[in-house]
Amino acid sequence: MKLQRLRLEQLRQFRQPLELNELGPGLNLIHGPNESGKSTLVRAIRAAFFERHRSSSVDDLRPWGDSSAAPSVELDFECQGVQWQLRKRFLQQKRCDLQVAGESYSGEEAEDKLADLLGFQFAPRGASQDKHWGIPGLLWVEQGSGQNVHDAVAYAGDHLKSALNSLLGEVASSGGDDVIQQVQAQRAELLTATGKPRGDYARLSEEQSQLAAELEALDERVAHYQSMVDRLGELRQRHQRNEQERPWEAARQSQQEAENRFREIEQWQQEQKREQQALDDCRQTLELLRRQQQQSQVAARKLNEREQTLAHCKETVNTLKTREEQVTVAQQQARKAYDKARQQVRVAKEQEQCNRLDNDIKQLRLQLETLGKNLEKARAHQAEHQETRNQQQANPLDLEALEALRKTQRQLEQERIRSQAIATRLHYALESGQALTLNGQSLQGEGDELLLEATTLALPGIGELTITPGGDDLARVQRQLERLQESYDNQLKSMKVDSPEQAGKLAEQQAQRKETIQRLEALLASIAPQGVDVLESQQQEFTRRLEQLQSEQKALSEIPGEPLSLTSAEAALDMAEQQLREADGKLQEHSKQLFAATQALENAQAEWQQLKRELENPERQAAEQSLQTQIAEAGERETRLQQSVGKRQEQIDEARPELLQQDMARFKASAEQLERSHQQEALELASLESKLESQGAEGLEEQREEMAARLEHVVRRYTELRRRAEALDLLLTLLQEKRKALTRRLQAPLQKHLNHYLGVLFPKANLDVDDNLIPGQLTRAGQQGQETGDVLDLSFGAREQMGLISRLAYADLLQEAGRPTLIILDDTLVHSDRQRLDQMKRILFDAASRHQVLLFTCHPENWQDLGVAPRDLEALKTTD
Amino acid sequence: MPRILHTADWQMGRYYSRFDNDDAVALAEARFTAIERLAQLARDERCDAVLVAGDVFDAQTVADRTIRRVFNAMSGFSGPWVMLPGNHDAALAESVWTRARRLNAVPDNVHLALEPGVVDLKAQGLAVLAAPLTQRHTHSDLTENFDHLETSPELLRVGLAHGSVQGLLAEDIDSANPIAADRAAQANLDYLALGDWHGVKQINARTWYSGTPEPERFRNNEAGVALVVDIAGPGAEPDVSRHRIGQFEWVQWREHLSVATDLDELLQRLEELPAPAVVDIRLSGEVDLAGEQKLLHALSVAEARHRSVQCDRSQLALQPTDEDIAELNADGYLGEVIGELREQQENADDEKAATSRDALAILTSLLRDRIEPASGNAGEGQP
Repeated sequence: MKLQRLRLEQLRQFRQPLELNELGPGLNLIHGPNESGKSTLVRAIRAAFFERHRSSSVDDLRPWGDSSAAPSVELDFECQGVQWQLRKRFLQQKRCDLQVAGESYSGEEAEDKLADLLGFQFAPRGASQDKHWGIPGLLWVEQGSGQNVHDAVAYAGDHLKSALNSLLGEVASSGGDDVIQQVQAQRAELLTATGKPRGDYARLSEEQSQLAAELEALDERVAHYQSMVDRLGELRQRHQRNEQERPWEAARQSQQEAENRFREIEQWQQEQKREQQALDDCRQTLELLRRQQQQSQVAARKLNEREQTLAHCKETVNTLKTREEQVTVAQQQARKAYDKARQQVRVAKEQEQCNRLDNDIKQLRLQLETLGKNLEKARAHQAEHQETRNQQQANPLDLEALEALRKTQRQLEQERIRSQAIATRLHYALESGQALTLNGQSLQGEGDELLLEATTLALPGIGELTITPGGDDLARVQRQLERLQESYDNQLKSMKVDSPEQAGKLAEQQAQRKETIQRLEALLASIAPQGVDVLESQQQEFTRRLEQLQSEQKALSEIPGEPLSLTSAEAALDMAEQQLREADGKLQEHSKQLFAATQALENAQAEWQQLKRELENPERQAAEQSLQTQIAEAGERETRLQQSVGKRQEQIDEARPELLQQDMARFKASAEQLERSHQQEALELASLESKLESQGAEGLEEQREEMAARLEHVVRRYTELRRRAEALDLLLTLLQEKRKALTRRLQAPLQKHLNHYLGVLFPKANLDVDDNLIPGQLTRAGQQGQETGDVLDLSFGAREQMGLISRLAYADLLQEAGRPTLIILDDTLVHSDRQRLDQMKRILFDAASRHQVLLFTCHPENWQDLGVAPRDLEALKTTD
Repeated sequence: MPRILHTADWQMGRYYSRFDNDDAVALAEARFTAIERLAQLARDERCDAVLVAGDVFDAQTVADRTIRRVFNAMSGFSGPWVMLPGNHDAALAESVWTRARRLNAVPDNVHLALEPGVVDLKAQGLAVLAAPLTQRHTHSDLTENFDHLETSPELLRVGLAHGSVQGLLAEDIDSANPIAADRAAQANLDYLALGDWHGVKQINARTWYSGTPEPERFRNNEAGVALVVDIAGPGAEPDVSRHRIGQFEWVQWREHLSVATDLDELLQRLEELPAPAVVDIRLSGEVDLAGEQKLLHALSVAEARHRSVQCDRSQLALQPTDEDIAELNADGYLGEVIGELREQQENADDEKAATSRDALAILTSLLRDRIEPASGNAGEGQP
């Protein structure tokens, strides 16, 4: 479709006619500032197509304040190879005239023809709205709505699809989606979304298994009932047979027989017991008799023994008697040796005492001598001590006075030295042979003199020189000297000494004497600590003792003999005593033995005598004879009894009484058991009968039949539902698959066109379209590889670009399907940046090579490089 | 000239699980009616005695009420009834019979032949030789005993037994409770009344199965009658006549539909079938949408006429014609789905084929509802 000319009059701000002609087949750029009428042009085109010429809802077309205006639009365009001319007037003298290839249409017929051609609807009432616009709504983009492609596609959906159908040469289902919905709804009654049974279907499944379980229970009960019936038949038969045969009585009979036999054997056993007793008695008698016989034999043996004992006793006595003398002699010898040893010991003891006295006397004499010497020394020391003491007391010296004297002497010396220091010094050096006289003293050679007072120096030959020393001090010193000298002299006098040296000597002597006294006192103390008198009495004591000892010694010294060692004498005595004790013991023992032996001999003699008498008694011999015969008889009887008992035991053993006893018990138990089980059977019969009676009344099998029927119904119904569910499932799957396949086929061409444009913006990008041909997911190369996102999440500018791309793709699609395409863009892509805008321009230019594009803008500078001359709306207005 | 009514296999207490509850109850009820009809027949035909050759009860433990109703239903005929235990109601130590006696449900004119032996009906000139089953199954011929049973020479010797005649019935039938085919001759019987085979069947001149008086299976073996047996005297050949007792005919058809006329022929037969009947149809082959519509309509009509109509169409493929599809307006992928389902019906897997068939039915029904939402008498398209 190519718009060639557009003329409008009395329409909004174009009160005067405006004509836009010579529109190019491709891109047409119409610009003008805001409110210059760009949108009015677009509105006029829309009104020409979409609004019924009779519509009273198009007041907005009227210029402001001009109620009598008759807005009119004229359009010339070429489409499907023919020329179309449309003239339409609104509100006043409403008209619509359409000429197509020389044919004229008017009114609604003309309008419907246009709607068919372009693919839109008229509003049933009121002004036309975007939902009626169909394909033009998609391709004619109003200012500011370029990004919203979804609604436009939805409104154009049917037209698009029919265009696609004609393109693909096949029919999309007209009611397919409804059918799918219905199938879905019906399926949802039976199955959940995931295909699990629900509602009746699920309930029936449960009911089915529940009934099956109940049926099984009933089957079991029926089987149980039948087995009870069988048991009843069997029992009844057996019970009757037993009632007739009474098998327990046969058992009782057998028991009786066993008992009888056992009684017989019991009798044998008693007899056996008796005879065994007799045998035992017989054996006992025999034993007794044999013991008696043995006893008499023992007596004879004993006599012999006693004879031997007697002989032995005699021999012992004899032996003992021969030994008696020997023992007695030995004892006497031992006694003698002992006495002698005792004597020896006594002598040795006396000798020892004598020696000890001797020693004591010697020692005492020695002590006495020492004591005498000491006494002598002590007496000498005592005398010296007395004398020294006397001397000390005769010449006492005051040591303090001596000290004072010495002090005075030192002061005197010091005063003298001081006086000499302040005295006038006279040095002289005289030639040899010359002399001077000083205060009458002659001086020769060289020397010094100190002058303390006026001194006269006589120079031989010359006269005399008087020298007077100057100063007060010299006089005062002189006086001090004199006073000290006086004190000094007095002290000497009082001490009765001539000089301090003498006084020192006297003090020394006095100290020596003191020392001597101390030494003597120490000596005395060591020699006679308790005094000299004590020493003297000691001396007297010792003397007396010595005299006593000497007298004792005199008394002992008369004992004769060799000198003996006491120790060895005592050892010899011990030995002698031991030997004596042994000898005494032996003697005693021997006497005891002898006595005992004599006694034994007497006893043996008596016993032997007695036994001998007894054995020789004739009565006893007769008794022995009779015993012999008795033994022979008893032996015979024993043999007889033994044979009898053995034989019977064999008989008894053969009869196996223990087995007979077991038989008795066995038969008894069998009889009891048989009878008891017979009774139990009767009880069981009664119980079974009553059970069967009560269970039979329940009509089990009839119940079972009913249950089976119910189950079958449920199973049938369930199977029906299952089949239906499966059928619905299959149907739904198939429908959806087919629909999807169709959609894919439909989408393919659109996809192709979309990607054609998209590649310019985003190389290798892909834009998915959904079932309704609406763009959905965009996949493009991002910073981290491929990234996918919804178109709706893109920025406004990008969404606008995508919107335009989509619309161009739809236009390509429609054109392919032979539908008219006209693209009107009112101030589009204002939100695109420079770079994107450049790309979009390439896209637009490409699209304009196939479609006519009317681009209205108020920014002509943005579109300079599109290769077409922009048409200024303002200029158009002025040309008129 | 004694006249006997011979019947057997009442199977009282049987429950028909394959039917819906209403039908099952009605069919069970029909069996009580059958007893009443037998009693009526015996009276109308002036029979001397009624012989029931086993399986009076379907099970040992039926409800007390069932037992009582059975004997009550017999009250229309006051002459002697001789009832023989069969394999379903064998005379076990405890059985439905002992219970019936305990319930005092057995009238005096009813002889229960619970033990092998002779039931003397002197007044009627009959000696009934009974071979009751005393176990559920026996593998020996219980009628062998008949050979040795002595009866008065002036009485007719009539055998009464339950089991399979050897060598005559199909081999695959369970040969428990065998009966020698020439028993009547060997035991010098005037007539041998047999039960166990549910259709009427003559074995020889003197040996008959009466079959069940009210059919309860689809096997086509002439069930639903009772036999009236006239015997002129001892040694005379019996004259046997059949009398209809049953209310419901049981019909089972297996049909393969390949061309449109097959269906027309089937529907014709269905229309002509005497009512009331119990009908079981199993269809295979294929049918187009119009044919299915017709079939559903005819079945709906038949359901109203008959006691029970069951039709298994799981093997019947739905093959919409191109016109059908065009008519359904199944354009676009809906058409593809229909095509695919049509193909899948040919799947070797029966289950899958059936599912496809159901799916196709659902889809066509939905589409039809879209065209003509008001006229949806074909139901919800359920199989």
